[in-house]
Amino acid sequence: MHSMLERRKWEPYLWLLPSILLMTIFVIFPIFIVFKLSFSEISKAGVVGDFIGLGNFKAAVTDKAFGTVMTNTLLWVVSVVGISTFLGFIVAMVMNSPFRGRKIARSIIVFPWATSLVIQASIWNYIINFEYGNLNNVLLNLGVIKDAVNWRASYQIEFMWECGVGIFVTIPFVAFCVLAGLQSIDNTYYEAATVDGAGYWKKLTKVTLPLVRPALTVSTVLNIIYVFNSFPIIYTITKGAPANKTDTLVTYLYMLAFYDQQKGPATALSVIGFVLLCIVAGLYMMISMRKEEL
Amino acid sequence: MKKIVALLLSILITISCIGFAAAEGDITLDVIICQYGNNTNNWFTGTGINGKNYVQLFEEANPGIKLNLEVVSWNDVYTVVSTRISNGNPPDILNIDTFADYATEGLLLPVKDYCPDALYNDFFPSFIAQSVIDDTVWAVPDLASARAMYYNKDIFDEVGIAVPTTWAELEDACLAILDYYGGDVYPWGMDMTTDEGQAAFSYYVWNNGGGFVDADGNWALNSDANVEAVNFAIGLFNKGYTNPSPATQTRYDLQDMFGAGKMAMVITTNQLPTYLTEKGYSVNFGTAALPHNDGAASGATGVMDRVMAFRDDAYADQAARNAAIGKVLEFFYSPEMYTGWVSMEGFLPAVSSAVSYLVAADPSFEAWLNVLDSCQFYPTAKSEWIDVKQGVIDVEQNAMLGGDVKTLLDELQAKVAK
Amino acid sequence: MTMKSMTPAHIRKRNSWALYGAAVALAAILVLFSLPIYHFATDLYVKKSPNTFVGDEKYVKTRADVEAIAETYQNQKELGNVTVLEDVTQRVNSKGETTSLITFRVSATVDKNAWDFIASGLPNGRLLLFCVLALGASVLLLLLSLPGTFALIPQKLSRRNMAMRNAACALMLIALVLVPVFHFYTVSVFQRQMIDALTREPTPRLTSLLAATDALLYGGQAGDTAGALVAGLTYQTTAAFWLLLPSMFGLLVAFILLSRESLSHTLTRGLLYLFVIALCVVILYPYYVMLITAFRNNAETTDMYFTNIFPTKWIWSNITDIVNRGVPRFLLNSLLLSGGATLIALGCGIPAAYAMARMNFRGKKVFLGFVIMSQMFAPIVLLVGISQLMNVLNLNDSIIGLMLINAAFNQAFAIWLLRGTFISISPEMEQAARIDGCSTGKALIHVLLPMAAPGIVTTLIFVFINAWNEYTISTVLISTPFKKPITVGITQFSSFNMIEWQYLFASALLATIPVVILFMFIEKHLVAGLTSGGVKG
Repeated sequence: MHSMLERRKWEPYLWLLPSILLMTIFVIFPIFIVFKLSFSEISKAGVVGDFIGLGNFKAAVTDKAFGTVMTNTLLWVVSVVGISTFLGFIVAMVMNSPFRGRKIARSIIVFPWATSLVIQASIWNYIINFEYGNLNNVLLNLGVIKDAVNWRASYQIEFMWECGVGIFVTIPFVAFCVLAGLQSIDNTYYEAATVDGAGYWKKLTKVTLPLVRPALTVSTVLNIIYVFNSFPIIYTITKGAPANKTDTLVTYLYMLAFYDQQKGPATALSVIGFVLLCIVAGLYMMISMRKEEL
Repeated sequence: MKKIVALLLSILITISCIGFAAAEGDITLDVIICQYGNNTNNWFTGTGINGKNYVQLFEEANPGIKLNLEVVSWNDVYTVVSTRISNGNPPDILNIDTFADYATEGLLLPVKDYCPDALYNDFFPSFIAQSVIDDTVWAVPDLASARAMYYNKDIFDEVGIAVPTTWAELEDACLAILDYYGGDVYPWGMDMTTDEGQAAFSYYVWNNGGGFVDADGNWALNSDANVEAVNFAIGLFNKGYTNPSPATQTRYDLQDMFGAGKMAMVITTNQLPTYLTEKGYSVNFGTAALPHNDGAASGATGVMDRVMAFRDDAYADQAARNAAIGKVLEFFYSPEMYTGWVSMEGFLPAVSSAVSYLVAADPSFEAWLNVLDSCQFYPTAKSEWIDVKQGVIDVEQNAMLGGDVKTLLDELQAKVAK
Repeated sequence: MTMKSMTPAHIRKRNSWALYGAAVALAAILVLFSLPIYHFATDLYVKKSPNTFVGDEKYVKTRADVEAIAETYQNQKELGNVTVLEDVTQRVNSKGETTSLITFRVSATVDKNAWDFIASGLPNGRLLLFCVLALGASVLLLLLSLPGTFALIPQKLSRRNMAMRNAACALMLIALVLVPVFHFYTVSVFQRQMIDALTREPTPRLTSLLAATDALLYGGQAGDTAGALVAGLTYQTTAAFWLLLPSMFGLLVAFILLSRESLSHTLTRGLLYLFVIALCVVILYPYYVMLITAFRNNAETTDMYFTNIFPTKWIWSNITDIVNRGVPRFLLNSLLLSGGATLIALGCGIPAAYAMARMNFRGKKVFLGFVIMSQMFAPIVLLVGISQLMNVLNLNDSIIGLMLINAAFNQAFAIWLLRGTFISISPEMEQAARIDGCSTGKALIHVLLPMAAPGIVTTLIFVFINAWNEYTISTVLISTPFKKPITVGITQFSSFNMIEWQYLFASALLATIPVVILFMFIEKHLVAGLTSGGVKG
């Protein structure tokens, strides 16, 4: 009996061991290296030098592009996560209601999820080209426009396109998370609400929303992380040009590290991003999972 | 716990070592080549040389030396190289544009250590001079390209104007073309993208008596001539003479517009004709010197890339390694290989022995070689070059958004001079 | 409000209102058809006069010339109202001189109504003809179904009458849709098809288009000059044209009222289908672009005057070209990499998720925090760290290293999803198995895992996709060409001097098809898996 209890005590950890090992070696160790690097001097060629305290952080934060980049990052995360959650929710509601061809429609909706971001970004980059892009070609042929439109007239518009592509590729994930949530709602809730004389909106706000909230929470937290760290869309379409006006933190630090060869400040920025992300995602989870048992 | 970690690691290491066993006495060199064109990969590692490739041919000719050759796109090459340097495993031989950082940080082998004398003397001396820091040559040129202004003859005939040679004439020509075609044709091509904006900078400042450095070789980015030149370039954009988004439209975009007859003038490399033929464009074009400001001489821009060898102090037999590197270079620059390589990508050669072969194959090469003689090159031997390169692009892009050129260049100069 | 409560009196009243409405709408449509719907302006003659200033000698002379030309056109009544317009462009050149370019334009304007279009024999006019026919047939069918059934609720209609009314609604819908289609097609014909075709060899189609346009706009007088005239054609739709839409929609609503129980229900369904169709079109659009671009030739991919929706010639050899350039090898590498990563992620994730779901132990929350934190860094940010680690482990340039990295970066999602799945399954079955003498491991494998299949499939797919799509880490870690995964392999098609869009997209197509097919097959399980795993979070 005694040995049984002993065994019980360490058994869970044994089950966790492979996972912990995998993550410690391949995730935590690199994180540790990056933290260490962020306090070290790194030469342009990439040679790691001495400990220099907060020098890298100071250099990163005082760069004049820092403000623009942080604003863009905020805009990027909020708009992509926010809009795709909203649209994904609508898509899920529609896909949850019975109609002819629903199976086909559902299969089509997973497409953007199943395609590599590099490929998606390349396609959209090609589509919105002013000179030979496909969007102008199709719209001209359909007669929707009379003259070719410059879809990339300014960096604000280019950034909107980037957000649009971000939303496009994020919707399927949200939609499927919400769809899963919707399907787990027992029909009796709706029947009860109908008996109480609740209309469509009332059912939506009082029954549907509270019950899919866990699914929304999960998809939102994961999306905040993925979108914040998303790289190929912006890198493929504008590379942050002009003058960092379309950069987000991740593309900016990549360009800083590998184009400008300022790896010290770049690693400092990645640590800053990490901390920010921890705070935001942590807060969001704490607020929305308060009542739930973890 | 430790035991398990050790066990796991050793298993992983064993797995990864399989297939790494090389024959005793062989020397393996890691080589990184930049991807210049759509044939580069095929030539080095595919079936581009009569069904064989460079690596195969080299290894057949030089038993005992193995090449682990990788062709990397320009997009990724800086990432790959600097990550490998940070981790202490730089390639043995690297083909890239810059070298100053690697040289000043003591990562490179002096060229004299590995390059056979015959080959060394074959390089154009003016090219070799571009790779000198502290009287030591750190890299050899692998190829060069020169930039010229191309113009669409049909458009100029139609509008009835002459090809501009000065900036004033350029502006008038742009205006005339713009008025005549009402926006259907962009008079002037401008590429100020994050990849190549430094070239645009040089097109204007070198044609206004300015430049990256002053007569003593010190950075002089905010000289009056430079401010005037950048203001002129931005003025062309603001007046609507250029393609709509110079910050994101790359040279290929411009070349496509030029090929399609939607652009009247563009400054680009000597490879444009190859490009136009390959894409099937049939535009009637001519070349001219870059337009310059009144009172300033016309300056051509030349671009040169390099091959360099990294130190590997841990390697036991340095002499053998140096000799092997020398063999790789010798084989690459041998006329059979080198002329095929240079003409395939439409570049200009860096060794004199190749000239006669190339001119025999294509007489138009000669004119370009003359242009190359008068070219100015980027000051890549200065270790701040990377900052300057990205800095001037940033200045251009900010100026297009309405920033003040003088202030921007002052800031850049202050940052670089520090 | 349900129909059951409706008395025949109600029905009669409702139907009467609907009929009145229909009559008003129909009358409006007929009026709008007879009003001008398009306003055309043709440049009959253009004269660009450089170095000319308003009022100077050259101006007066040119203006007189132009007006004389306008006069001759004026006499050809069929051309419409002829006017002379002038544009002045004044600029200061680099020498400080003012230059001026005056463009004189002799322009004829004419208005055309719907019947003119139908009579013209233009292909777009034919669309309008179909629209009218559909409208007429629809009204006729409805009228035929009305006698004797006016006070019946739709459910009680005879099958024949019901079919007639449904057909009336469908035809009406078609007529409504044909209005915007007509407009877009008109723009396409005048702006795109004819003008593009004018620059090439004349085709029979172009000749007939020009003849019909000549008949419609110039009273057949243009003849050989029709092509030149069409090139300078501008046109605008009038308000009357756009008023057709609400009128026809009103008619449709009236018809729906007459043949359906609930108007709002029908309209909502209509909106639903509209939304789904629009959504699918938007989602499929980039794939259509990928598909057609993959089979174009190199020149066509960047052709600035490209006018076809599909390639002029499908270049199937693009596929064989990319096959020769190593794409199948890259695909195989990607498959290996993603498959391996998925196996490792599941192999480590299932036990961890099991412990999290079924066992109580200290540090459970700490572990959860650890898992979530591990997701906060994008692999790209950790490039230097990962690369250094791989050096230490001697896993540089190996697919195994990539597998482990991808598996590690997907642990969090795997554990979260699997844990949710396990929690949603009652532990009783396993307990029963263990009482029968099974070990915990056996109970897990034989009892729990089969029941958790949907969740496992979802996790599997998720990890697989993420690994399949990974790009940056592979770029840095893999240096041997034949070990590259597809995402890295395709970068060879966007080289320094040329982007080979057709090869890029052909490879993208090959890389996308298997994953998309896989996704389509498991779509059902995906939702089921997320349901069991995600919701109880």
